[in-house]
Amino acid sequence: MKLPPFEYVAPNSLTKACELLRDKKNKAIPIAGGTVLLMALKNRLKTPNLLVDLHNLPKSLHHIAYSPKQGLTLGGLVSLRQAANHTVVRDKYPIFVQALLSVGSPQLQAMGTLGGNLCQDNLCVYYNRSPMLRQALEPCHKLGGKICHTISGSKTCWATYCGDVAPALLALQAKVKIIGPGSEKVIPLQKFYTADGKKPNILKPGEILTEIQVPPPRPRSGGAYLKLRIRKAIDYPLLGAAFWHSLRNGEAVCEEATLVLTGVERAPLFIQETETLKGRRLEGKIIEDLAEAAYRRAHPLHTVCELTPKYRKDMVRVYVREAVRLALQQVLKGGTL
Amino acid sequence: MKKVVTLRVNGEQVELEVRPNQTLLDVLRDDLELTGTKRGCDSAVCGACTVIMDGEPVLSCMTLAVRCHGKNILTIEGLAEDGKLHPLQKSAIEHGAVQCGFCTPGWLLSAKALLENNPSPTPEEVQTSVSGNLCRCTGYQKIVDSILAVAEGKVHKPSKPSEEPACWKRDV
Repeated sequence: MKLPPFEYVAPNSLTKACELLRDKKNKAIPIAGGTVLLMALKNRLKTPNLLVDLHNLPKSLHHIAYSPKQGLTLGGLVSLRQAANHTVVRDKYPIFVQALLSVGSPQLQAMGTLGGNLCQDNLCVYYNRSPMLRQALEPCHKLGGKICHTISGSKTCWATYCGDVAPALLALQAKVKIIGPGSEKVIPLQKFYTADGKKPNILKPGEILTEIQVPPPRPRSGGAYLKLRIRKAIDYPLLGAAFWHSLRNGEAVCEEATLVLTGVERAPLFIQETETLKGRRLEGKIIEDLAEAAYRRAHPLHTVCELTPKYRKDMVRVYVREAVRLALQQVLKGGTL
Repeated sequence: MKKVVTLRVNGEQVELEVRPNQTLLDVLRDDLELTGTKRGCDSAVCGACTVIMDGEPVLSCMTLAVRCHGKNILTIEGLAEDGKLHPLQKSAIEHGAVQCGFCTPGWLLSAKALLENNPSPTPEEVQTSVSGNLCRCTGYQKIVDSILAVAEGKVHKPSKPSEEPACWKRDV
């Protein structure tokens, strides 16, 4: 599959990159790791006139820093492998490492960047296919048409969010810094996602996700990310569950907890029922109720070929129970936190 | 518009004019005629196009050649040195880890990248390192065994490519 023709530029300043991306005449898109983008280009899902390479941007975008007060700061261009191999990340954020190492394959982890992973497009089997196969069907919402092949009659796009890293970072209550032409803001990662299949994040033309900020881990906290897929490598998550919690000092009761699912909605799905865990021991019925709440909220669709939506929904209970068990085990064993 | 890039491929400096929409795989196979790097799925799945770039295994089908300026690239053609097989290649032959051979360049380079960073990996680490390389002849166990043998130092004597490996010898 040949790539379509485009021009290429690698600016060395953020201001220049933002300007190039904002100018509508350029019809430009940014490239970080390129692992997802090049596939979209090969499939002619995107046809830019200009690729703006972000790799020459300042060193801070490639940097990892940690301070006990501020927590972890990762540049948007840090590769998944680089983050997963970092000593502090391994010691203090095992749930994040689990998520990083579950992305694609070792090659994709070496090439892909954190910023690129968080900005990855939603997937749908009717959209992510070759031009020849797409010709067989009327264009869907995501292709600029007016129908949805996943849910017949739907007036909106139901492409699914299938990222691995975002659920773990959301569970850790991370924030992201976005820099645009003359603007800079730090927002909770939760607000980065729009739950719109056509446009899954809030980035406007000219804006770049430059930094990820993860708060320092609380004492007696731990988490786990589990991923359902056919093969143990390469595949996107058909379901992913990231559970993180902390226990009260000197007690075995929950102080705070977050549960985020992926692969089952148009954005990473927060399970609000973790609020009810506060002040309670994580055992028996409490875990069952949480698993049941997650099961009710998850709505996997026929947006992927593998495994039926029913099976994936059924597995929500299993994965949530297991993620809670592993997270609890990590804290009670003393773990690394 | 074409751009000039300078790469170091298998130890040799190469200067090339590339179009922005050429992948590293296109350049390796079509311009440099290094056809040992295979074009498999061409969509970041099979790992047949794996090469080592600055010490990391990468998929050349998903890497723009124009972004490789100044990079050090190792393809399968550069694995054997001075006409002597690399221990990983020797081990692959001895363990019968090669069937049709299409995935072999990819996983050999994935394994080389692993052993350079981690000279004594566990079997699980070896499995993970080649998990991005699909083998349709289903020879995974022999692939893992052959890499572990090198890590454990069971294969260390380089041999000339003309030497007949033990597993090819037959009683006539």
